[in-house]
Amino acid sequence: MAKYRYPLLIALGLFLSLLGLTAALKDRHYLLLSLVMLAAALLPLFIRLERRPLEARELVLLAVLAAVAAISRIPFAALPNVKPVSALVILSAYVFGAEAGFIIGAVAALVSNIYFGQGPWTPWQMFAWGIMGLSAGWLRSTPLLHSRAGLLAFGFIWGFLFGWIMDIWYLLSQPDTLSWPLAAAAVASSFYFDLAHAVSNVVFLAVLAGGWTKVLERFRRKYGLLKE
Amino acid sequence: MRGGFGAMHPAVALVYYMGLLLFALLQLHPVFVLTQIFGLVLLTALQGQARLLRGILLFLPVALSVALLNPLFSHRGSHILFYLWDRQITLEAVLYGLMTMTLLLAVFILFISYNYNVTADKFMHLFAGLAPKTALLLWMALRFVPLFQRRLREITRVQRLRGIDVGRGSLRKRMADGMTLLKVLVSWSLEEALQTADSMKARGYGVSKRSSYGSYRMDRLDKLVLLWLMVCACVPLIGWFGGQGIWEVYPRLKPMGWGWEEGGMYAGLCLFVLTAPVLEGKEKWQWRSSRRKAYPSATPQPDATRFRNSLLR
Repeated sequence: MAKYRYPLLIALGLFLSLLGLTAALKDRHYLLLSLVMLAAALLPLFIRLERRPLEARELVLLAVLAAVAAISRIPFAALPNVKPVSALVILSAYVFGAEAGFIIGAVAALVSNIYFGQGPWTPWQMFAWGIMGLSAGWLRSTPLLHSRAGLLAFGFIWGFLFGWIMDIWYLLSQPDTLSWPLAAAAVASSFYFDLAHAVSNVVFLAVLAGGWTKVLERFRRKYGLLKE
Repeated sequence: MRGGFGAMHPAVALVYYMGLLLFALLQLHPVFVLTQIFGLVLLTALQGQARLLRGILLFLPVALSVALLNPLFSHRGSHILFYLWDRQITLEAVLYGLMTMTLLLAVFILFISYNYNVTADKFMHLFAGLAPKTALLLWMALRFVPLFQRRLREITRVQRLRGIDVGRGSLRKRMADGMTLLKVLVSWSLEEALQTADSMKARGYGVSKRSSYGSYRMDRLDKLVLLWLMVCACVPLIGWFGGQGIWEVYPRLKPMGWGWEEGGMYAGLCLFVLTAPVLEGKEKWQWRSSRRKAYPSATPQPDATRFRNSLLR
């Protein structure tokens, strides 16, 4: 079996994309196509992780940061709707760069879903947190993230973006009514959750931006991790 | 040790759940989707996990909102039921909403069953060889979660003596306190994890290609079932490509012709869906009858004791 793994997987991927495309074009059912496209978006960065020479230290570092992000909601269980996952992903990406940020975000989503239950939202969460880390890593050397206000604004915007990305799969499940009013209704119904997410991002980033990056920077320098 | 479907090779379980997800996402006829729900509920009940199905209550609001929103936002269709705020509510839109709701429920039930049958180690067994670094990363992160939870409890108890407590104070102070706990956790864990990494390197990690240990062997039954599932899945898919098995709701509700094409597709889907419950039921039945059949054993068993009677009952 192992010999045929790659051809089999490629054939399966092509088959699924064909099915998804047909469903989207013929019956306007976009769910399958959206899953295929998510997989296509996530794959290149994981392939890069496989192919680049990676020290054991760096692998362990990524695992620790992803696990900390995944369980970071536990100390805040007493406060509803307050989850520092996004803030931790952004700050880790800020210190260790875009690719590391992506991996930390995506793996944190996957790991926390393995413990709290998989669902149709898993790939979307992996995508949303992954892209959050990726974008934070890309912008880390720009003045935007270097200024405190910019960093807070970045967290605030991502609080809403995250909610909107998670609304997509709900919207796509009703292709018939897919329209701006429905999108507006979905966005309005999740507004308070998104706002809570955005505000808690701002507070977390404000509280720990300095301390957390200092801890991570120290490790980075002490062990020479993930240097560009 | 689980028997039946739970003990099959991971590839079998994955193909089964992927097939079901595919059928649901292609939005076949609602009867097909209802059959899927029936098969999954039967499987879960046979595995004695019916209480897991209570989790569906969490998702009911989402599914119900779809059924409700569709007729409110879509005004296509020709059978007008009544007018609401000067907008017509059509029978087609109501039915379409109900169809989508059934589909979402099927997907949620599918994941409930998936979470029980395909544990993380089975999933990793299939993909660890393909992406060794990602697999190692994921394994380590998974293993860190319970470890970090223990550490976090310890840190919480210690820090409470210093007055750092997430349960007390203003909101801002509580959030800052939570972050202090996480900061302690991350410096402690990173320091130790990096030592682990050095030890890994000292023992030769990354010197040669990684092998992966698999505790699952594919025997003849697994191969047969795999082939069977694929053949069964092809029938509805081929029919779907031919434009069959879809209930046309828009623009005008049509009674679905139930010809031999649809009959064949439905038979294929039923055989696919019922494979897992049948495997599970067969195992259940065998255990039951082996208990009944008083195996010949060295110790003579007196007939009609209370013990045997209780077993027979």
